[in-house]
Amino acid sequence: MTRRPLLLRLVDELLSGRGIWPAVPAIVVLVVVAVIPFGVLLSLGFSDIVVSRGVIVSQELSLRHLTTALADPLYHTTFRRSLTLALTTTFFCSLLGFPVAYLFLIGGPWVRRIILVLTIAPILTSGIVRTYAWIVILGGRGVVNATLMEFGLISQPLRIINTHWAVLIGMVQIHLPIMILPLIAVMSRHDSRLEEASANLGASRLATLRTIILPLSVPGLGTGAALVFTLSYTTFVVPQLLGGGNYLNAATMVYEQVVYSLEWSKGAVTAMILMATCLAVLLVFAWLTHIGTRWTRVAQR
Amino acid sequence: MITAAAPFPAAGTAEAAPVVAIRDAVKRFAGLTVLDRCSLVAQEGEILTLLGSSGCGKTTLLRCIAGFLTPDGGEILIDGKDTIPVPVNRRSVGVVFQSYALFPHLTVATNVGYGLRMRGVPATEIGRRVAQALQTVSLTGFEERYPAQLSGGQQQRVAIARVLVLEPRVLLLDEPFNALDAKLRGTMQMEMRQLIKRLGITAIFVTHDQEEALTMSDRIAVMRAGRIEQLDTPEAVFDRPASAYVADFVGASNFWNGLASQGRVVLPDGQGVPTALDGEVRVMLRPHNVLIEPAGADQAGWRGNVRFRRHVGALMEYEVELSDGASLRVVALRDETLARIDVGDRVALGLRDPAACIAFPRA
Repeated sequence: MTRRPLLLRLVDELLSGRGIWPAVPAIVVLVVVAVIPFGVLLSLGFSDIVVSRGVIVSQELSLRHLTTALADPLYHTTFRRSLTLALTTTFFCSLLGFPVAYLFLIGGPWVRRIILVLTIAPILTSGIVRTYAWIVILGGRGVVNATLMEFGLISQPLRIINTHWAVLIGMVQIHLPIMILPLIAVMSRHDSRLEEASANLGASRLATLRTIILPLSVPGLGTGAALVFTLSYTTFVVPQLLGGGNYLNAATMVYEQVVYSLEWSKGAVTAMILMATCLAVLLVFAWLTHIGTRWTRVAQR
Repeated sequence: MITAAAPFPAAGTAEAAPVVAIRDAVKRFAGLTVLDRCSLVAQEGEILTLLGSSGCGKTTLLRCIAGFLTPDGGEILIDGKDTIPVPVNRRSVGVVFQSYALFPHLTVATNVGYGLRMRGVPATEIGRRVAQALQTVSLTGFEERYPAQLSGGQQQRVAIARVLVLEPRVLLLDEPFNALDAKLRGTMQMEMRQLIKRLGITAIFVTHDQEEALTMSDRIAVMRAGRIEQLDTPEAVFDRPASAYVADFVGASNFWNGLASQGRVVLPDGQGVPTALDGEVRVMLRPHNVLIEPAGADQAGWRGNVRFRRHVGALMEYEVELSDGASLRVVALRDETLARIDVGDRVALGLRDPAACIAFPRA
């Protein structure tokens, strides 16, 4: 047998499904776009850099940026605001998403189709476009104010846009599908006879929802909550546009430090704090989900 | 069975009132009539089987009794009382599902205690009754397991215990043995029948498996196209089927086309089958009712050639091609003579008992 060209053998290995070979392309991409930039970020955040004429002249290890940031009251306010916003968004997405997923579960084929279309359609539109739509709706002369004034409920336009509320409304709308989809995926995996069995055993619809459907939806709620939290904690488009430019959250802070004030080391530190706090919250979510799904693991033993 | 703390109201006082009575139940799905004026009655303590092929309406009828479906017409009475307006969770009907529908996130004990908790029974009594129910199905010691940690047979027993603990008036079983392998199925069928008989519960049982129906039932309702074709004891359904459909569906049957006159049909072996019909008929011959023996090529009478044979344990099964091209299935206990009959051999056929044959009008 003649030796085959290296490239062909490599492709063969990649397609073989053995070991880590099939994951190699993804690993390469991740190293290039995530691991290396992350290293650069770390090196920026933990060093004092002197730049002269666009070239790094000297770089020394330093915790100065981190300690300054941790002591800065602006950071405290900003991160508390980000955290509150993301957690409220997650809460409202769960609250609004669960009934939709439940409707999908009990609905007929047409109800299901409509729910899926209505859930997926917004994802196909750019977040920026959807956010601008909210400006139109919530603005001083927007749909909401015009309607309320038309009916004489208010005499002056309410100030919604450029407030915390506008940001929250936009955030919930943008992230709602991200909560609904995993919920639907998890909930429709269970035997639909479970609800009938529960009713047959004497449970009301509410009792079935509370004792059967909700506990079985925990993995979906966990996944949805983790996704919504991560996205809403780190987004900067919605706060930027609906908050009117003066609504500072952690992500907009990074953006301003990097793009406007060109303090890259500061930006790197902010980004690291953002990431660390995000991971901490995700760990709490994971722990809660873990408690709520103990039965799935006990059952495997 | 009914104690002071029983979750279900006590039975009506009428002595002979059937436990379940269904009158002219009709159910349509998108213009398709699934139940077509279906009527039946289940007596106290009997196991009634709804037997039929898929799409005959047996599961729909069961789901109407349970309350998961509302019939478009007719009446469903339990202990003489109209049940249709009663919501699902207030019916004294326990369902064992084909998939068992055990709650995967609850342990065996909490699964079994679920219905009692929903009825607000005190915790200590729940504990006592759950223990008793688990003992009834021989699952003591499995309280803390989760359904996924149990075998198929054990899961089924949990599903039964879960409804039995509520002491329902009627037990509904929707093809409960489908998920079990063949060997276990036979054992579970007998165990289940013994259990239900011991507890004296009225049970309605749905299956498409005629052997299962014969094993389990006190009476069988053979269903076809949303109606009940025959409702009788297993023996009667097997020995005296009401129609060619029932004869074909329950047990293996041969059909031989003949001409009836003067109260009988004469089969090729010279024996006459008594019948009230006249003209063209189909005669049902059970495979075990046909005699088979080796025949010489020159002999007259009812003859055929063996086209296929197989051993079914202690039995031999033959497929015999008749001179007119029709084929006949014959089953007999294996013995020395039969063992000599091979594929291609010419055989003589006869009838063991002409009275066990039934003639149906030819459609």
